[in-house]
Amino acid sequence: MAKVPRNFRLLEELEKGEKGIGDGSCSYGLEDGDDILMSNWNGTIIGPGHTVHENRIYSLKITCGPAYPDARPEVEFISRVNLPFVNQMNGKVDPAKLPVLANWSRALSIEHVLVEIRKEMASFNNRKLPQPPEGSTFF
Amino acid sequence: MALPKMKLHPQLRSCDQLTIGCSKETERLVADPAPGISALPHDDNLRYFDVIIEGPGGSPFQNGKFKLELFLPEEYPMAPPKVRFLTKIYHPNIDKLGRICLDILKDKWSPALQIRTVLLSVQALLSAPNPDDPLATDVAKHYKENEADAQRVSQEWTQKYAV
Repeated sequence: MAKVPRNFRLLEELEKGEKGIGDGSCSYGLEDGDDILMSNWNGTIIGPGHTVHENRIYSLKITCGPAYPDARPEVEFISRVNLPFVNQMNGKVDPAKLPVLANWSRALSIEHVLVEIRKEMASFNNRKLPQPPEGSTFF
Repeated sequence: MALPKMKLHPQLRSCDQLTIGCSKETERLVADPAPGISALPHDDNLRYFDVIIEGPGGSPFQNGKFKLELFLPEEYPMAPPKVRFLTKIYHPNIDKLGRICLDILKDKWSPALQIRTVLLSVQALLSAPNPDDPLATDVAKHYKENEADAQRVSQEWTQKYAV
């Protein structure tokens, strides 16, 4: 089985992200279109309906290091959000507390991470958690 | 008594042929490189190559050494190799991320083509930019409106980045 190297894998993800994924409730793109190493990405999640997150737009930062996709990306929220796997001091996602990162494999992608985070927002335990004011950020 | 015909598992067979095909091509590529082009496979991924292309003489890219990366996907040779510049380059058919607009890397690919042909075509593209089929639209516009000035920028970038 051919192992797709990091850069070509990230180019595939970029092209998929540019076309748009799913129903548009999650999206991502390069932070800087000049970044030849494609390390820094922006993600956006539209809060799932019928939850406290409804109509909120969450911005995230995703960092794909040199060992990606063998190594999982680093994920942090820019928008303030109260979720059990998000550090309330700095917005960083604790990979041990989010299954998609804890059980990372190279078959997974930035898209999977965003979609799974959105599912967590709608889960029974998280859908009614009190949230910080809309539009506030961690920095 | 006739021996039973040997049966090969179809998937195993195509796999084998691919591996042999790939490695023979690589051997030849490394032993007998085209002038101004080198391609070396990674030790841990024989489908992934570090490539250096020298800018062709008489072009604004002359004396530049451009780094590229090349990957042979699972479907190769039925699908084209994936190729990208890692060195910044001011060229109408190469974008900011080093992606190349070249017909043989897309719809004009043929399994008869090889890594060597692909890299020679990329080198030829440096001598013959095609601003009518642009990928970097701003660079293409510059090339169409004032070719001499655009070539000056290409040369500056070559001196700055392709060393």
